[in-house]
Amino acid sequence: MKNLLPKHKAKRMEPFDLVLNVVVLLGAILNLFPFYWLITGSLKTSAGIFKMPPEWFPSTFHYQNYIDLFVGQPALRWALNSILVAVVTTVLVVGCSALAAYAFAKLEFKGKSFLFALFIATLMIPKEIFIVPLFQIILKFNLSNSYLGMILPNVATAFGVFLLKGFFEGVPDSIRESGRLDGASELTVFLKLVLPIVKPGVGALFILNFVNVWNDYLWQMLISRSKEMMTLMVGTASLMQEINPNFAYKMAGATVAALPMLCIFIVFQRYFTKGITLGAVKE
Amino acid sequence: MPTMKRKTHLQNPYTGYFFILPQFLFFAVFILYPVFEGFRISLYKTTAVSNTFVGLENYQILFADPVFLRSVFNTLFLVVVVTACTLFFGMMISVAIFDKKSGYISVIRSFYYLPVIVSTVVMSMVWKFLLNPANGLVSYALKQSGYPGGNVLGDKNLVLWIVAFVTVVASLGQAVIMYVAAMEGVSGEVLEAAEVDGATKFQRTIHILIPLVKPTTLYLAVTNVISILKLFVIIQLLTDGGPNNSSMTMMYYLYRNAFIYDKKNIAAAIGVLMFLLAVLMATPQFKAMSGSTGKRLPRKKNGKGGTTK
Repeated sequence: MKNLLPKHKAKRMEPFDLVLNVVVLLGAILNLFPFYWLITGSLKTSAGIFKMPPEWFPSTFHYQNYIDLFVGQPALRWALNSILVAVVTTVLVVGCSALAAYAFAKLEFKGKSFLFALFIATLMIPKEIFIVPLFQIILKFNLSNSYLGMILPNVATAFGVFLLKGFFEGVPDSIRESGRLDGASELTVFLKLVLPIVKPGVGALFILNFVNVWNDYLWQMLISRSKEMMTLMVGTASLMQEINPNFAYKMAGATVAALPMLCIFIVFQRYFTKGITLGAVKE
Repeated sequence: MPTMKRKTHLQNPYTGYFFILPQFLFFAVFILYPVFEGFRISLYKTTAVSNTFVGLENYQILFADPVFLRSVFNTLFLVVVVTACTLFFGMMISVAIFDKKSGYISVIRSFYYLPVIVSTVVMSMVWKFLLNPANGLVSYALKQSGYPGGNVLGDKNLVLWIVAFVTVVASLGQAVIMYVAAMEGVSGEVLEAAEVDGATKFQRTIHILIPLVKPTTLYLAVTNVISILKLFVIIQLLTDGGPNNSSMTMMYYLYRNAFIYDKKNIAAAIGVLMFLLAVLMATPQFKAMSGSTGKRLPRKKNGKGGTTK
């Protein structure tokens, strides 16, 4: 509604606005360029990539890099590891966060404000800072080089509680009360009546958390001791540290690492925008 | 006030604990315990055979260590430069596009969000390729324009700026998404009224938009500070802390101490110092975010005191 009036008049843009938009548009195109360079580079030969002045477009498509990647490296396994770790972590995060957020939004119990403050406070503390004791816990539980070792610590995140609490607060109390008066247990009310209403919030959390875990690097690198246990990000980065002088092959690795998220983003763009915005302060 | 009505007659007082229990267990094991354990380890000196309490010795060692001091300076440099640039350019891009057609907004927004979505690992690799002195495109361009060698990553005066640049590119997308959403929420009437009164877009930006999106700015400032504090991937893949420690950050030095030099106690001490830094820098936002709950709660407690028991 707010934009309707000026648009129909087809006003001229103010000079400030025009200059700003030209700069912003150029910046946007510059943002694309590195990816163009990455993808075309991955299709060049090892020699082609060293050509100076550079070849702006590969003269022939050289797919060998991708074949080397999937045959010479367990790249498929890396991708499957990434999917497994990201999906399981996210399901656990969504489940635990939804339960806790519901309690903080709708239930009364002693110490609620203190516990919530404690949860929120941890939002400000990156886990990476306490990586030494965290890693010792993993060693104690014998979870090094295991999927569980990658998954469990990442379930402890307050972001989901924070995000979903707002959604649960938006659900009218009468819904919960009518369910309870009909004799349903709190858990049934939560699962059958309230959870379906906050589906958009759950969807946003699922996607945001999935992306976070998918793009996580430090922790997964520390946990994966063998090549087979690496995730896509760790595996791809390990190509960089190889002495192999074939840059095109490394670029193929980076392209493969970038593609899955790119596709997910294109399909679910709406949810990304929504989820990111919802996580912030509303007032 | 509506909180006073929804009350306990429908609820067993322990149900709440049951609901938060799963999340709390993960918290206790993977956040609370590591925080306390981190403090403890930092006060000890652990070798293969002994574990001695040494008080603050690890901290003394750190403050006498030029590499650590360098890493503190570099971390603060990145926090300030990257946060300032991300907020400024994020704001600028959003001001340019927020009042345009929705198709245009979503295309521009996606382009800026692209580096965020493909992960910092891929971003770091891409820039490593572009900046590679042997065959990188940027290095080639620099050589053509007379910069000797074209190796900016090997230049200890430039390397931190390069890291800052790549980090800004990798975090702009989030700022744009947040700012555009905040600006779309600003009442169109206010902006139009100002326009009718003859305010230019620049004036409207300074006097209306920037003050009204302040909560977003605050949120972005803190999330950026925290994510720069833990910046790891870009340092490891792009510079490895070099040349000669000139791009060493606290996080990377922590990692090096913990997993390369095998000095766990020193690493834990760096972690504690980073924790204090994070608390210091995040406090304003923490207040703002818990503020809504914090303000409501005392009232609720009073209400409860009157009715229960």
